[in-house]
Amino acid sequence: MISPAGRPTRRIVPCLAAATALLLAATACGGGARAGSPTDKITSITVLDYYTEKSEHDQWDQVLTACGRTAGVRVEQTSVPPASLIPAVLRRASSRTLPDLLMLDNADLQQIAQTGALTPLDRYGVDTRDVAEGILSAGTYQGKVYGLAPYVSTVALFYNKKMLAEAGVAVPDTWDELKAAAARLTRPGRYGMAVDANATFEGTWQFLPFLWSNGGDEKKLDTPQAAQALRLWVDLVKSGSMSTSVLNWTQADVHDQFAAGRTAMMINGPWRIPAMEKDRNLDWGVAPIPVPRAGRTPVAPLGGEVWTVPQNASKARQAKAAEVLNCLNSASTMLTLAGQHHTVPSRGAVAARYAEQNPSMAVFVKGAEGARARTRELGVRWPRAATAIYTAIQSALTGRQTPEEALRQAQRTATRD
Amino acid sequence: MTDRTSPTPWTGAGDDAVVDTADRGMVRARARERLARWGFVLPAAAYLLVFFGYPLVKNVELSFQQYTTTTLYSGVAPFAGLRNYAAILTSDLFSEALAHTILFTAGSLLGQFVLGLALALFFQRRFPLGGVLRSLLLLPWLLPLVASGTTWRWMLDPDTGIVNAVVRGLHLSSSGVPWLTGTPQALVSVILVNVWVGIPFNTAILYGGLQEIPPHLYEAARLDGAGPVSAFRHITWPLLRPVVSVVLVLGVAYTVKALDVILTVTGGGPAGSTETLATQAYKLSFQEFEFGRGAVLGNVLMVISFVFALVHLRAGRRARAAGQALT
Amino acid sequence: MKRPPRRGRLSTVVGIVLLAVMLFPVYWMVNASLQPGGSALGGGWFPVPPDFSGYALALRDQAGNLVTSLVVALGSMALSLGLAAPAAYALALFSLRGTDLVLLGILVTQMVPGIVVADAVYGAYADLGLLNSHLGLILADSTAGIPFAIIILHAFMRTIPPEIIEAARVDGAGALRVFRSVVLPLSRNALITAAVFTFLFAWSDLLFALTLTTTPAVRPITLGVYEYLGANTDHWNAVMATTVMASVPAALLLVIAQRHVTAGAARGAGR
Repeated sequence: MISPAGRPTRRIVPCLAAATALLLAATACGGGARAGSPTDKITSITVLDYYTEKSEHDQWDQVLTACGRTAGVRVEQTSVPPASLIPAVLRRASSRTLPDLLMLDNADLQQIAQTGALTPLDRYGVDTRDVAEGILSAGTYQGKVYGLAPYVSTVALFYNKKMLAEAGVAVPDTWDELKAAAARLTRPGRYGMAVDANATFEGTWQFLPFLWSNGGDEKKLDTPQAAQALRLWVDLVKSGSMSTSVLNWTQADVHDQFAAGRTAMMINGPWRIPAMEKDRNLDWGVAPIPVPRAGRTPVAPLGGEVWTVPQNASKARQAKAAEVLNCLNSASTMLTLAGQHHTVPSRGAVAARYAEQNPSMAVFVKGAEGARARTRELGVRWPRAATAIYTAIQSALTGRQTPEEALRQAQRTATRD
Repeated sequence: MTDRTSPTPWTGAGDDAVVDTADRGMVRARARERLARWGFVLPAAAYLLVFFGYPLVKNVELSFQQYTTTTLYSGVAPFAGLRNYAAILTSDLFSEALAHTILFTAGSLLGQFVLGLALALFFQRRFPLGGVLRSLLLLPWLLPLVASGTTWRWMLDPDTGIVNAVVRGLHLSSSGVPWLTGTPQALVSVILVNVWVGIPFNTAILYGGLQEIPPHLYEAARLDGAGPVSAFRHITWPLLRPVVSVVLVLGVAYTVKALDVILTVTGGGPAGSTETLATQAYKLSFQEFEFGRGAVLGNVLMVISFVFALVHLRAGRRARAAGQALT
Repeated sequence: MKRPPRRGRLSTVVGIVLLAVMLFPVYWMVNASLQPGGSALGGGWFPVPPDFSGYALALRDQAGNLVTSLVVALGSMALSLGLAAPAAYALALFSLRGTDLVLLGILVTQMVPGIVVADAVYGAYADLGLLNSHLGLILADSTAGIPFAIIILHAFMRTIPPEIIEAARVDGAGALRVFRSVVLPLSRNALITAAVFTFLFAWSDLLFALTLTTTPAVRPITLGVYEYLGANTDHWNAVMATTVMASVPAALLLVIAQRHVTAGAARGAGR
């Protein structure tokens, strides 16, 4: 090698000494990200989540600030795009710069808990009574609860009432109706349907209701049921009813397309409803995701973000973070948050009260009850299957592989160690 | 400066053979002087060792270590032997990324070089505003890549971008071209963007090379009745060869490791069709925290640059010799 | 035969057209930044009337990042010149024994991918507390600036006539004083060129910003643009306004230091 370091001459020694001195000097003024010793009084804690959309970010800011006040701390909230959250968490775990309070999509919790970056919540006496089974098990790793979600949710089909009425199209219940409706709703400058099929876990998340409602399973991806579900998406793109840009869109992009009138229908979550309600020109409706054949029950994925307390040098900070976490999961905050985001409180009794107060939320309360957790079958191995699934979606939608080929490969990569 | 002459000239390091052994003070002063001279180089040399030498060694070490999700928090990465190399080099992702890297590099260099040379030849003419236009041309290359990449991403959007608006307006295609969503097209798109970024750099260096060619050679050729094509073939090209070598070697080194353009324009998608060795190395190390496997790709990248530089510089030396023989 | 002036003017017209084609994306960047925001629609060919809401939003979110970029770029420029100028001086004017080795080393640095540096430096930074610090970014960003500055300055200083230096030496000046009061003033142009490019290299860096920061504490504008891309698709005007702000230094330097930029480009300042 011609690397200078490969020449052990005497000259190298002073060089290295100087280099060390340089680096030592550098550390002296480097300044860690977190000042203050563990014994200091905690006046503020840091929070990391993926609520980048402005109105959502602001809503959370209010709730976090309020909960921070009850715990006597200021809350510094940072939001990164959903696809960047896990890389950010991994990076911050390895550099010991994790936030004091961390939000995770429930499907990622077990993987992150496995790294040892999180602390079990029983340590702080967090109340987990009456929490719905699905979301509690998603927040549990090796028998201990690491994360708690104030609410749960799932995805549904949103449609533009005016566009459907103009085209004389009924809200689709089955896949065939969906294809026909999307085709009839497509115009120059407008698509009939939009989904998020990007190469992230969001793409996988949106595909799951199609996969599961058709009897597909993440443990065995190379089945005809899975291929049929993927073919539905391929057909929608091939027929021109869906833009090829679905390959790059995030869920937020899909919503923007819908709000801008560039698509007549979309798959999205109820947390978009506040933004839609603000838009006076948008006359929208929501329905369950179409099923393969009439009479089938839709199976939707369980959504909802769990809050966790990461490992941290300061016990006092962790205690404060846990206080805020407890406040987020209290009955009253749950009701506020669920009302703001049109989601369903995660504690049974609170959810029942909520359903009574908001009859219009019946679709979502019912949907979330039947929702299936993504980590239910695979646990910490879910992220690998999720990666294989979005890879297959991308391959099939770009036409590089048929749905069958793509899923066969997905099965291979998901099971290889 | 003074014009006073003095019998004590400043000795360079080369002529310190004559040392008056009787004068120890002189020797010590010399030694101090020599040390002082090294003192000028030392900080920079130390920096280069720390920020280039250390990574070269460290990457080799990393590539033999096993990084798992638990390594993150514990910091313990056991020795993995050649497992990372085996896993990477036999995977489909690697062969695809390698193919994309080769296509991306070859396509980018070809486009940049041909168009850059054409522009350099054009700007060789003397015309009003020539100098100003030539320096304004540098702008695409000076902009942060993330800024120009973002702009191109906006322009190439299949549904709302200006490029497809023009394509549709000219009735070249009713549905537009899937610049960022089609599998061969996305790779073409990132190559086009990279060509755009690289043209000014090629033009600037090649223009500099063209200026070095003595004008009397062209006059002589014209007197011999040579047309512009034959003048280019027999004078410009041979004399430009050394500069061409530099452009190509640097071009390969900078292009194989290009990351910003691809990350901002396509992020490696769709369906991984624009993943290169560099984007894969980045993703493995910093998205999935598989530092061991990321380092394998980093090492492969470096070997490619080194080998190309060695082979080409050797070929370049022969060409230079031939060029000198011509003048 | 055509008369030269007309042919010259024709070339000017062709040159302007070529430049317009090459700079169209730059125009489009500015145009998009001045369109009204809110939807993912394409926008018109001209920003009339210009809408500055994108800039308002971008400034609200990114003003701090601009300051960070400025600090990091100026710091890297200072560090690069501070290390490169003495080194170039010694390499060019004393025939030191290791000169070839150092020059070869500099050539090798051009072949080292930034990701390789980032891989290794990340671990070291994590241990030393240099992640998320200005100093950490300044040091890493200088990997582009220092080798380039040495090359530029070395090439220039080699052309300084030895008589000038000898004359100063005769006046009793030591190596350090010769450097400070003779070589540096003479190298003014080369120093400016090196300064312009080392500044721009650090300003444009995305890779180190992406890999060596883990929190928003120290975030340069390039990373601001990159993360905006993922999070703000409903405000394309703000995204584009941020790219315009990130591009301003390059454009500004090209205009005010045109001669030096051209000189640096001809030297093959790579990336």
